[in-house]
Amino acid sequence: MRILRSHVPFATACLLAAGTFGTLPAQEPTPPATPPEATKPAAPATAPTQPPTPPAEGQGRRPRRQAVVLEAGTVHPVSGPAIENGVVVIRGERIVAVGKKGDVEVPENAVVRSFPTGHLYPGLVDAATDAFTDAGLRGDGSLDGGAQLAMDLHLRGDRDDELAAAGITTAYVTVRSPATMRGQGALVRPKAGGFEVWTGHENAGLQLRMTNGPGPTHALQRQQQLDGYASTFDGLEEYRKARTDHEEALKKYQKEFDEYLAFHQKKKDAEKPKDGDKPKEGEKPATAPAPAAPAEGPPAGERRRGPGGRRGEGGGGGGGGNEPPKPNGGGEELEAALTQLIAVLTQDPPKQDPPKQEPKPAGAPPAQGGAPAAPAGDKPTEKKDEGPKRPTYPKAPAKDPQKDALLRVLDGELPLRIEAHRPDELQSALQLQQKNNLPLLVLEQAYGAAAVIPAIAAQGTSVVLTEVLPNSMPEQYRDFDTAALPAQLQAAGVPFAIATGSARRASLLPLMAASAVGAGLDRDAALRAITLSAAEILGVAKDTGSLQQGKFGDVLVTDRPLFQSDCRVLFVASKGRTEFEAK
Amino acid sequence: MKHLLAVVLSSVVSRVVSPAARAALAAALVVPFASAQDLLVQASRIVIAPDTVLTDGQLLVRQGKIAYVGSDIPAEARARATVVDYGQAWIVPGFVLASGLLGQERDLAEGSLAFTPDLRAAEAFDPWQEELQALGTFGITALALSPSPRNVAAGLAALVKPGSSRKDAKQGGQLAAPELQLVLSLSEAARNQEREPTSLMGAKDLLRQTFTAAGSATQGGPDLAVLRQVLGGTRRVFVHADTFAELSAALDLARDFRFEPVLVGAREAEKLLPRLVQQKAGVVLGTLSPEARLQQLRLPSQLAQAGVPFCFGGRPDQLRLSAVLAVRAGLDRTTALQALTRMPALLLDQQATIGSLRQDHAADFAVFSGDPLDLDARHLGTWVAGVRVHGDAPKASKPAATSSSTAAAGAR
Repeated sequence: MRILRSHVPFATACLLAAGTFGTLPAQEPTPPATPPEATKPAAPATAPTQPPTPPAEGQGRRPRRQAVVLEAGTVHPVSGPAIENGVVVIRGERIVAVGKKGDVEVPENAVVRSFPTGHLYPGLVDAATDAFTDAGLRGDGSLDGGAQLAMDLHLRGDRDDELAAAGITTAYVTVRSPATMRGQGALVRPKAGGFEVWTGHENAGLQLRMTNGPGPTHALQRQQQLDGYASTFDGLEEYRKARTDHEEALKKYQKEFDEYLAFHQKKKDAEKPKDGDKPKEGEKPATAPAPAAPAEGPPAGERRRGPGGRRGEGGGGGGGGNEPPKPNGGGEELEAALTQLIAVLTQDPPKQDPPKQEPKPAGAPPAQGGAPAAPAGDKPTEKKDEGPKRPTYPKAPAKDPQKDALLRVLDGELPLRIEAHRPDELQSALQLQQKNNLPLLVLEQAYGAAAVIPAIAAQGTSVVLTEVLPNSMPEQYRDFDTAALPAQLQAAGVPFAIATGSARRASLLPLMAASAVGAGLDRDAALRAITLSAAEILGVAKDTGSLQQGKFGDVLVTDRPLFQSDCRVLFVASKGRTEFEAK
Repeated sequence: MKHLLAVVLSSVVSRVVSPAARAALAAALVVPFASAQDLLVQASRIVIAPDTVLTDGQLLVRQGKIAYVGSDIPAEARARATVVDYGQAWIVPGFVLASGLLGQERDLAEGSLAFTPDLRAAEAFDPWQEELQALGTFGITALALSPSPRNVAAGLAALVKPGSSRKDAKQGGQLAAPELQLVLSLSEAARNQEREPTSLMGAKDLLRQTFTAAGSATQGGPDLAVLRQVLGGTRRVFVHADTFAELSAALDLARDFRFEPVLVGAREAEKLLPRLVQQKAGVVLGTLSPEARLQQLRLPSQLAQAGVPFCFGGRPDQLRLSAVLAVRAGLDRTTALQALTRMPALLLDQQATIGSLRQDHAADFAVFSGDPLDLDARHLGTWVAGVRVHGDAPKASKPAATSSSTAAAGAR
């Protein structure tokens, strides 16, 4: 292609524009410039999860958050025996001391709250609730394993939001939708007039429904349905292998592409004319380094900008490629540089055959980057004896969020929570765990668990019970004595929690535990079932569930023992902050 | 035809046979229930009535009744009696359910006729019915078997008691009182599109006309005779009504015909508190559930504050939970226990025999490991007429010298 003098003004304008905005990176878009006086984004309405960082030495110390000392007639740590005339000291978000009054050092300038006849407990942990969900989400039959419930939680504006006032400082939110895979539940921390999703626990469990509920069904019909669940984990290893292979292929592609670039850069450097020699017609000018050959596609996760090929970086056309060449002796050199630039911009792309039109699988993402791989048999543009072949960008396998979640379950990163009622449903759930070696399985609403307790205990499965109030079962489940189930689970050593199942019953969580005591459960175990055991099942026992040094300052103070029907909540703190106080 | 025959026969029997004879006949149908041996029942806490509590108390049970209480027990009787020692447990009067169907909806309502005030629920009593026998497992020792609210004037309720469902001592239930209150209904269940009345105003008008006819005439059938008993103040009236309109209609009838109604259900009673007080109406509440609205859970304490006599009702298996939920929502314990025991007996006009453990009352009581209004208290047993119908037998031991004392209710 002949360079015309008429191209020079255009090229000059391009160079000047490039010089104004600086060097463009090779692959990624330039982030917008941030003015020096730009303000930080406003802090979210929820409390920060980390305490403020103290300033560096010599720059003035910020005052430490004032300590809070809670004195109560009886302190119930749960992790140990009750303490008469006990004290809990909280600094910042964490408990720093628990003990008998007089034995615990009270920090200077601490705020002291005294409840002489009160009972102080850890904040309650509700292992299953539908709080902060709406009817649409609860009835959504299209949920799948990839759905993240944390993205769809909000205040309902009625008493169903008042978990904090009921003494609940940690809750696992789930929905009993008609879908089979009901998404991933979230851990939240209820607050006065709201909640915050617990950072790092936005996806705290994968929900699977293996029951049709108490409606009349035939055992054979149920068995057919249960057999269908056996394929839930099929194909996961192939999916994992495909993704792993793709990652390996990407690494290989990057390496080969770097080699390809390096070869051609070296070649261009070698072809650079000596000083004083004018470039022959048709040859590329020597003053400006040749840019890198356009790539067929950028590395994974990056997108190209602009037309044509990649913008080189560094010495490969970038340091000179996007900056106007320094004038070094007059208009002739400038003209030569501009001529070369025009040659680069108008260079024909390497020849390659048009891509084959292959049908894409459903849901497959569009190919990232540029042209697809050349079909087999196509001749490379380079001569056979000149360097490595241009690598082909590997095609990514279709992403499946549900399979990603199931893989996390297989790897023990995410508990699988299965709702199963009848003994045959529970058996199927346990078989699913055994067949797939699932490390973490939680059975929900396991009304018929009495018949399969040995198997549950043997497989280390946990249980979350919601219907433990007396005679609260529907007609078809009347033979299941759910009130007696906690005592049976305790006797077998099965970890279990008692939960409300519904925000409407938030204030009844202690009564549910009391009901289990009335049916034979040990009193300490009942308290544990709504505090520490629930926290263990949810995987947050190192932060909450008992009154111990180092744990969050999650506390509940009542006017009398928690299991009494007329017990009143006096005070609730979450991470040391007051979330409820009785008037 | 069958129904017509039943009506005719019933009418003939009621005319020919005196009420006393009828009661005797009914009693004869009952297997002798009371134990022959005196029983000395003792526990750390005996609630004679919600306002009368014995600590380390004793009761002497004879022939199915409370013969003596506490220090009144003669030494000779104490020595002869079989000891039933419940140790640290609480003994409370058996719970009384003032209205229930026991699952016999179809047999306790004449579907083709809306006005059958003289039909008797006792006619449908089955002493071996499973739902009746199960009452003991819920601490219930007496229930007013009530005609269904599907009829505007359904009939007369009967007091029944559960038998023993223990495997070692099965025993049928008993018919304690064959004719109790007249049951009327202004609730939606009584409005049937397949026969009259089909509306609330039609139901109210039907009752108004029949009460007027009963008041103005001295003759008439057994149906009007029942209404005349109501007008004469010798028979109580229970009226099923839930909404404000239904409750208002019931209170209007009560005002116009001068009787003191007991309203069953009364879901919106908080809207009519002054009228309830003024007209001395009583209330039998429905089941309180954990999912109920806050207003529903607070209704018992509102009624208590207003001075309206009320008791818990609804499902037998949820009776205790209803009381617990009411306490949770602010009702005081003494009133709650009263609403399970003495108050329903009062509303049924049976306070002389049930609802408390005073002398000469029926030996109907329930045993818990603690306060029955706390769910962590285990239900240990239920006794009816001095016979254990539910729970395991406690250990028998020699009676200790009594040191019982009376304490006011609420001292915990």
